Amino acid sequence: MPDEKLFIGSHAPYWHNGSSISAKSYDTMLAALPAVVLGISQYGAPALGVLALSVSCAMIWELIMNVAMKRPASIGDGNAAVIGLLFAMLMPATAPWWAVVVGTFVAVVIGKQIFGGIGCNPLNPALVAIAILMLSWESMMDFNDALVNYDFGFNMIYPLAAIKSFGASAVSDYNTVGLLMGQQPGGIGTTFGLGLIIGGLYLILRGHIRWEISLSFLASVFVTALLFNLSDPDKYANPVFHLLTGYTLIGAFFLATEDSSSPVNFFPMLLYGAFAGILTVLIRNIGAFVDGVVFAILMMNVANPLLDKIRPKAMGKGIKHA
Amino acid sequence: MAKTVVQEFTKGLWAEIPPFRIVLGLCPTLAVTKSVENGIGMGIALTFVLVCSNVVISLLRNIIPKQVRIACFIVVIATFVTVVELVMQAYTYPLFLKLGIFIPLIVVNCILLGRAEAFAAKNGVISSFADGLGIGIGFTLSLTALSIIREVLGSGTFYNIPVFGPSFKPFSFMIQAPGAFVCLGLMLCVMNMLGKK
Amino acid sequence: MREMIRLLVVIAVFSAVSGGLLAVVQKGTKDRIEYQQLKFVKGPTIHHILEGSSNDPLVDRFKLPDGKEERNFFVGVFDGKADVVAFEVFGKGFGGDIGVMVAVNVENDEIVGIGVTTHSETPGVGSRAKTDPSLSEQFKGLPIKEPFKVKADGGQIDAISGATVTSRGVCGAVVGSGEIYMRLKKDIIEKLKAFKA
Repeated sequence: MPDEKLFIGSHAPYWHNGSSISAKSYDTMLAALPAVVLGISQYGAPALGVLALSVSCAMIWELIMNVAMKRPASIGDGNAAVIGLLFAMLMPATAPWWAVVVGTFVAVVIGKQIFGGIGCNPLNPALVAIAILMLSWESMMDFNDALVNYDFGFNMIYPLAAIKSFGASAVSDYNTVGLLMGQQPGGIGTTFGLGLIIGGLYLILRGHIRWEISLSFLASVFVTALLFNLSDPDKYANPVFHLLTGYTLIGAFFLATEDSSSPVNFFPMLLYGAFAGILTVLIRNIGAFVDGVVFAILMMNVANPLLDKIRPKAMGKGIKHA
Repeated sequence: MAKTVVQEFTKGLWAEIPPFRIVLGLCPTLAVTKSVENGIGMGIALTFVLVCSNVVISLLRNIIPKQVRIACFIVVIATFVTVVELVMQAYTYPLFLKLGIFIPLIVVNCILLGRAEAFAAKNGVISSFADGLGIGIGFTLSLTALSIIREVLGSGTFYNIPVFGPSFKPFSFMIQAPGAFVCLGLMLCVMNMLGKK
Repeated sequence: MREMIRLLVVIAVFSAVSGGLLAVVQKGTKDRIEYQQLKFVKGPTIHHILEGSSNDPLVDRFKLPDGKEERNFFVGVFDGKADVVAFEVFGKGFGGDIGVMVAVNVENDEIVGIGVTTHSETPGVGSRAKTDPSLSEQFKGLPIKEPFKVKADGGQIDAISGATVTSRGVCGAVVGSGEIYMRLKKDIIEKLKAFKA
């Protein structure tokens, strides 16, 4: 990453360094792979089915919209496939086929193409789809209901639901290592904490996502959860628990960092991540929903244009007494 | 007048159909179209008020002083809205309960004031009647179309009759408020696509 | 100045005419509206708690002054005897007033049944007071003079789980109904004689 303060330009001709949207998309998919593979190995064929259907449906919707809007076909850039993949990672493995079809329609058509395709979406498409599905089919998106027929030998109560209903003592038998290794029920690709962290670090090192957003998001989840935990340890879980359960990690590395719906400057990125983290914990601990990541990030997506107003002064402007 | 009475009537059905072409009257459009019954009821109530107020304002257009015309329009419209409200309470009380605040809110509907100001105050009684009826029916059609989509997808029913089998899980997002915005937006988009050809 | 007067006169005439029209409509629909409101808002509850009565309680009703306000009483005829009256009282709930219809047998001062008419409680939580009969069933057959309380407050009524405030409000309303009943009992019996025939 070039030093932002110093911009040295050389004369033309320039050399394309090979980075492209499709490279970014495939890198993102590669980064998501560890978590996805663990999901498939845990939930078996149904998870693979949801993933495959979701990715292919997302690409088909994209193609249909390209034809309908008389635009050049854009499925080659892999962005639709990434949306489909992220959407499937958030879903429970038992999601029925029609939910995946509707969800990818919402994600690709309403979340992305309606606004003008890649780079124009004000909200994260996968999150739009998940939010709408959560509002419509609550029991299908409830991991306790959805995964009731699975038993992997560890506590199969969705941790965030458990803490919401029974307080901190109900979740004392989840240990940190277990949570990191994916020993918790959840979405197909959201449970394997270590895999998500590795994938996220890879994306950061490759320069596809910004560490400012991920770090500030995780830090503010930690701090806010810590404050709650200090105020009432019986009722609110410890901060590490909040970091490793639900959608927190996938949100920090894959969802909040989506290009066009997150800020571009240093300070706004920190604010964006911090507010999303605070909102997440507030919704989890006080709000009506079990997991707050989806709505917290969507709300910050909406606030994104405002955050982008915080930017360095343009050269020569704003000097009143020159 | 260059246009015939028939033309005044038919323009409300396609060329100037509210709320898709003249994007007015969105508040009831978004709020009451949860079910077909509500949509049609709202459309009929608005059509009645629109026709009556158009005729009355057109009759009185030479008496109403220019300076206070808006106030006079509002008095006329408010009178008819209150009449509709009372009649609905007396005869279709369940529908009145469902539409609730949106019946009195017809008073501030932009379509009514818009037609009064832009058309009835300048044209004769017969063409004003045709204009009011056309716009009113157009509004009813739009509301019905929107509410059919929302009710069929959102509750799985059409006019309270189930249309899908019992295995259908209603897409309840459609009957919530954000669903109204998304659905209306998509319909506007389709209308524009059809209109271009 | 003349212009001003003209404007004033026009507006005044407009308002007077519309006011007159509305008065006529209101007068014409008043009785029907009252009946419709009773039928759709309180009717289902009244019919439910006075189940098995041989008359229509909505038709057989009378009014009694109670202090400054007037109360509606609905008569239920059982086995040819008009000895049950139902009336509405209000209790303080979680989201506002809860209307509770209480039916009392005047022979032995026992509660025949209660039912929630109107409320603004949380949907799915407090709203179960209206839809779930487990709360209202507990009041059946108890003497109305008892000071009803939920078990959390040391009383005898099982609250709806998660909706203690609502249940408390219903209990409070029934206690209030007992006070009203004792206050007006004489008049009620007097009035009931008219229905004995």
